[in-house]
Amino acid sequence: MKTSRLMKLLILLTAVAMLLAACPAPMPASDSGSGAADTGDSMAGDFKVGLVTDVGRVNDRSFNQSAWEGVVAAAEALGLAEDDIKYIETQDAKDYADNMQQFIDADYNVIVSVGFALGDATTTAAKENPDVFFIGVDQFQGEAMPNVAGLIFNEDHSGYLAGVLAGSLSKTGTIAAVLGTDLVPPVVAFNEGYIAGAKSVNADINVISTYHPGEISQAFVDPEWGAATAKQALDQGADVIFGAGGITGNGALQEVATADGAGEAVFCIGVDTDQWNTVPAAQPCLISSAMKLITPGVVELVTMASEGEFPGGNYFGDADLAPFHDFDDMVPQELKDLLEETKAGLIDGSIDTGYGN
Amino acid sequence: MATATSTAGLTRTLRALLIPSLALLAALLAGAVVMILSGDDPMAAYSGLFKGAFGDGKGWARTIRKTIPFVLTGLSVALAFKVSLFNIGASGQFVMGSVFAVAVGINFEGLPFYIHLPLALLAGIAGGLLWGAIPGILKVYTGAHEVIVTIMLNYVASLFGGWTVYAGGTQGQTPGPLWDRTAGAISETPDVLHSAQIPWLFGPPYRVHYGVFLALAAAILVWWLIFKTPLGFEMRTVGHNMRAARYAGIRVNFTIILTMALAGGLAGLAGAIETLGLNHKFAPEFGGAVGFDGITVALLGQTHPIGVLLAAFMFGALDGGAATMQFESGVPADIIQIIQALVLAFVAAPLIIRMIFRLRQQEDQDAGSAVSTSWGGT
Repeated sequence: MKTSRLMKLLILLTAVAMLLAACPAPMPASDSGSGAADTGDSMAGDFKVGLVTDVGRVNDRSFNQSAWEGVVAAAEALGLAEDDIKYIETQDAKDYADNMQQFIDADYNVIVSVGFALGDATTTAAKENPDVFFIGVDQFQGEAMPNVAGLIFNEDHSGYLAGVLAGSLSKTGTIAAVLGTDLVPPVVAFNEGYIAGAKSVNADINVISTYHPGEISQAFVDPEWGAATAKQALDQGADVIFGAGGITGNGALQEVATADGAGEAVFCIGVDTDQWNTVPAAQPCLISSAMKLITPGVVELVTMASEGEFPGGNYFGDADLAPFHDFDDMVPQELKDLLEETKAGLIDGSIDTGYGN
Repeated sequence: MATATSTAGLTRTLRALLIPSLALLAALLAGAVVMILSGDDPMAAYSGLFKGAFGDGKGWARTIRKTIPFVLTGLSVALAFKVSLFNIGASGQFVMGSVFAVAVGINFEGLPFYIHLPLALLAGIAGGLLWGAIPGILKVYTGAHEVIVTIMLNYVASLFGGWTVYAGGTQGQTPGPLWDRTAGAISETPDVLHSAQIPWLFGPPYRVHYGVFLALAAAILVWWLIFKTPLGFEMRTVGHNMRAARYAGIRVNFTIILTMALAGGLAGLAGAIETLGLNHKFAPEFGGAVGFDGITVALLGQTHPIGVLLAAFMFGALDGGAATMQFESGVPADIIQIIQALVLAFVAAPLIIRMIFRLRQQEDQDAGSAVSTSWGGT
């Protein structure tokens, strides 16, 4: 009895072993079919661009996605093959260096690392690999290195544009900003630009700016606080609310979207990307967003790298407002003109937001 | 007679291996189905995964590096299981271990490494020990269920860890006591002093440190404790039948508190090793899922120390190969998390239910889960 049971078990186990063995078995075949890295080794002349996301997905409708769209657009412009651009989505904050190393080992020429958090890992990898170009999205470079370009933005510029829009739209003379923590300089820049922009069209305007009081790990992921703060601002008479602070800001936008008069008397302004797409729930009030134009910035930097004219150090991308979408008719032409003039003035330096002075 | 017992022993070992293997296989197959449904090529994905985990030296290094914390959090959960305790708190104990170890590691400049490093490791163990003992004490003296308490303590630990490195602010808040004053807006500690870092076994780019031997030693120690000491016998007896253990004169309350504390100490050691060996600092995002994955590892390893080693290695390989899998095949690395969750689903559900409801186990199911009745063909 014992023996036959044992036999049965052995047979089962063998079957399992065979099944398990079957999994990696066709490796060589599929490798030659899809393993672009291997074939790439033999064609070292190719120009290849890799992207490492922050802990997040490449279709996050935010930084990661914008940066990846930049890589795709640059690849099209440069005529790169589909296999010459790839991304790795980081699963664990400890893996940034590993994931960049994957691309370095496969002889990639440019590595885009997305997000403030990858700054350290990017600098370290750049020091070890002087032949590889690194594009650090949202990574301020304290010390310029020839093979690292930090794609950063004048947040005060896009904040200023949002402020001009908000100040012009406001009927009550009170506007508000619901912000992530002031521990992060870009958030402060958004706010100060916003205030300056609003004052430029209405010197007497009352701006209620509220920073999240918590630490970084909470400040951008607290939609309840964002909603409550937006509600408070509405109660105090604010009729345009700027939400700048990740999900916290999104909470504010969504709160405004459900308020009385949303889209008629009360409006909200998003941040970073066109939040019409990223936060559909905010559409009832979302008149525009103060954007960082990551995609064109990445395209420019990748193109420059391919031409051998890579600008090490900080590289400033453009700031702009997102389209007005359904509210296009509600924005008078003279305001649109004013915004265009303001944008031009910010770029040529004739308008100073006052931030950092 | 001797042959009969050794045959029975072999049967048990084979069965113990059979269930987890089947669970893993089922999870991989289900993962393949998910990939096919989403239009991906599972063969390309799994070959990429294999290559990433074992393809070259760096792959092996990644796998081993990822295996280390899984071994210790897995042992933590497994040890508690032996006493019919469900430690869901490995995540919080891991954080406490990290914080305590780093607090010692960034201070005491000038100590020689043979004092500083053990001190930092012991501090990490102590942090986890303390955090594990609390639910044990509460269970014994108030009857509070350890599942609830450990879950809640996870939040406390995570927030405490965040507080210790809180970056202060321009609004007048006080920064955390361990915060790196040169880090600007980033909430993290300074680097651990060189004398408290676990040395590299293979330096960068491999980044495998001597902590791997600590993990192995811990597994052996736990095995010895459970199966070779009177204390381990008491633990297992309490686990099998608490009332009978009490009648037999075993100090049940003491055993429960001690087991929870030791389980916490193991998870705390995991946190200490990760901070002193790999990250060299603590930041709130380094807590990670490794504590929760310890539950899956323990169950996949049939709560046996050797099984935990194997299961941790499997999970280390899955995590170590994930990025290469995405690089090679374009399949999102999330699929790995799906597979890991499926492993848990396949291997654990009956066992968890038995633990929570304190059902007595039949002798021949000792090493298997309820799956064995359908697969094992008794």
